[in-house]
Amino acid sequence: MKLRRVVLLGGAFLLVIFKFALDVVEKNVELGLMGLGLIRELLIIGSLGLLYVVIDVLASRRESTPVRKLGFVLIAMCAMILATLGLSASGVGGFDAKNQALVPLDYPSIFLASLVAIAFGIFSIIVFRLLRDLILINRKPAARRNWLIFSALLLGTSVSCLTTRPLDSSIATSILFALAILFAVMNSFRLPWIVYLTKREKLFSLACGFFLFGGFTALAVQIGSGTLLRKSLLYYSHPLHQFIQLVTIFGALYAGMAFVSTLFHLPTAEAFDRKRSEVSSLHTLSKLVTQVFDFNELVDNVTSMTLQVVGASSCWLEIITGAGEEDAPAAGEDASYGVQVAAMKNITQEEIDILVSPERRGIRDSVVKDRKAIVVDDIERDPRFVQLKKHRGMAGSLVVVPLVSHTGLAGILYAAKKESFGFVRDDVDAISAFADQATVAIENSRLIRESLEKERLYREMLVAQEMQKRLLPQHVPVAPTIDLDAISTPAFEVGGDYYDFMELGDGRIGIVVGDVSGKGVSAAFYMSEMKGIFQALGRICSSPKEFMVRANEALAGSIDKHSFVSLIYAILDPVSGRLTVARAGHCPMLHVSGENVAYVRPNGLGMGLSRGPTFDDAIQEEVIPLGEGDVCVLYTDGVTEARCGDDEFGYERLMAAARSARGKNAAGIKEEILATVSRFTEHRANDDDLTLVVLKWNGPDRRG
Amino acid sequence: MSEFKIGQREVENVNILELKGYLDAHTAPKLEEAFQNLLKSQRFRIVVNCRDLSYISSAGLGVFMAFIEDVRNGKGDIKLTNMSPKVYNVFDLLGFPLLYEIFKDEQEAVTRFFDRAK
Repeated sequence: MKLRRVVLLGGAFLLVIFKFALDVVEKNVELGLMGLGLIRELLIIGSLGLLYVVIDVLASRRESTPVRKLGFVLIAMCAMILATLGLSASGVGGFDAKNQALVPLDYPSIFLASLVAIAFGIFSIIVFRLLRDLILINRKPAARRNWLIFSALLLGTSVSCLTTRPLDSSIATSILFALAILFAVMNSFRLPWIVYLTKREKLFSLACGFFLFGGFTALAVQIGSGTLLRKSLLYYSHPLHQFIQLVTIFGALYAGMAFVSTLFHLPTAEAFDRKRSEVSSLHTLSKLVTQVFDFNELVDNVTSMTLQVVGASSCWLEIITGAGEEDAPAAGEDASYGVQVAAMKNITQEEIDILVSPERRGIRDSVVKDRKAIVVDDIERDPRFVQLKKHRGMAGSLVVVPLVSHTGLAGILYAAKKESFGFVRDDVDAISAFADQATVAIENSRLIRESLEKERLYREMLVAQEMQKRLLPQHVPVAPTIDLDAISTPAFEVGGDYYDFMELGDGRIGIVVGDVSGKGVSAAFYMSEMKGIFQALGRICSSPKEFMVRANEALAGSIDKHSFVSLIYAILDPVSGRLTVARAGHCPMLHVSGENVAYVRPNGLGMGLSRGPTFDDAIQEEVIPLGEGDVCVLYTDGVTEARCGDDEFGYERLMAAARSARGKNAAGIKEEILATVSRFTEHRANDDDLTLVVLKWNGPDRRG
Repeated sequence: MSEFKIGQREVENVNILELKGYLDAHTAPKLEEAFQNLLKSQRFRIVVNCRDLSYISSAGLGVFMAFIEDVRNGKGDIKLTNMSPKVYNVFDLLGFPLLYEIFKDEQEAVTRFFDRAK
């Protein structure tokens, strides 16, 4: 890139030197060749063309603000004015008009004319290029079109005097010149960049416009009237003079328009600045809300931005907490509520308490009740602030905006100014906008907190689930005459179903299945208590009834009055096949003996429903002599009450399933019953805890 | 599915609660509230008509247990009537007939309060 620039500049320089040599030669020898004049002009055009490419590259590479561009043009113009002054003070011979052409009187005139013309050429190109940037700052099609037409007319006017002598002029040139001026005027209305300037920039642009207008006008006059500058430029190149003249006039027009337009924009500059800072603050905030999860940092930002944008003297944000509850008070509710200052700027907690005293919650109450922003224009005359009589000068005006989320009132944002009538409508709108952002932030942080809490509880439940699984037997007892299998699946993470086995000392085996009323965690606690009771009492109670009675006593002390446990307990003598069953309010046991299927339902009462004789007398035992291949199914109501729409699985279907599966081993029967239930519920997850224990008696032990 | 309603009326100074729909863990608090209201106004003679009760879970049964003691201490009772066979089976399995008087007919239960009084 650098090499290219050097080549381009070198080329331009060579062309200029050539031109200069030709000028010197022409002064000495009257060549009078028509072609020579054309060659000189082409050298100039070529040279400036190369310079344009260099300047264009430089200008487009640097991102610069409109104000900087104006400043740059101003500096360049000062240089040109100095050059003009220098030229007129140089005391060179100048030029003579002869036959519509200019003849230099001495060599310094040629030299200086060349220098000045090239300098003005570069200057014009820079001005042309920078003004183009300003005009095309937002590329509307019309702006582009007008600019292109102006550029074409500018070049056309210049080229049209390629062959005319310096002091001559053609009609075509004049027409093109007039059109170019017309489009210069049209283009000078393109000042879209002024609107977006800050107030300071506008003031600077105003000054720039003023001086640029003056400078350009002065230069245009110099170039247009018969001064040495005009002669020098004309002598050097007629098209170049034309180009420089047009650009200067355009510069004067544009600077003038910029000056006037900036002047008109000045009164709204402050409001514009404010809006802009408001918008950018909101933008920053909304980005923060999604990126920063630190609640304190967010509300701190909200308050400091509010302070900055509306120019309040102090600002603070309160979080509303329900009366001991998580949820915020509902609209119109006359609930008591707590407030907690989450962020404050330029104010202390004591001052806040004086301004909106915690006991007399006047203004705060109205905001909480109505959920509408309140503007207090003059605090000292407002009846809600009588307590401030003693604290004059604390605040003159106050804006109070509620933070309303979809779940209720999240908080209140306050902004105060020292002077009364300090807030205009725009301020209130801005504060409301900030309040909305703060609401989102508060909501977000609440949701995150909740989801973290949920995550924690979920993990706790997984631990509980794991622990409960370990409360259930890990192995079924093995004896030559029996075949046992069991399964239990809770509806939720943990459940209230219980089953257990116990090998009693005399070779008999106890099988217990229970169901705690209710579901979930509370049921799980009683379930684990049942486990303890069974493990403690099972071995020392010789009959199911005895166990039931003592277990009921043990349980009565801890169970609350609307909970109970249903239990079925069977003791099998694996030698004789005698099965003794007692039932404490539990589902009856299913007994399959060949084709005969029946429910075994000794009388009984749920545990925890009553204590003492009522319970003890209610429990009865039933003894069933099992035959070879007999199957007993113990279960909880999760099996019989498995649902499909309004229909329940029920006792009949359980009987049928057990009967058809009776030929299989215990595991096979269990699987078939589960599969039948699952088919019935169309494979939905069970909505109640479900337990199934299958016992198969293989007949007396024949090994001995 | 968990549609549950309670109707309330008074017959000869006896408070009748008519249960309708599914009484389970979700709907049990409604029944609890109804009992609490009766107890608060010292009305202890209660008949629960289960004609339109289509399902009762263990949590539903628990509600009766929670209040029976207070009701009987207030010299009243909770009597149950008009159960469908399915609902009766649930009460019966747990042994509720040992603890509560269960009648086929509501009027029977109401008059029973006055038999006692004599």
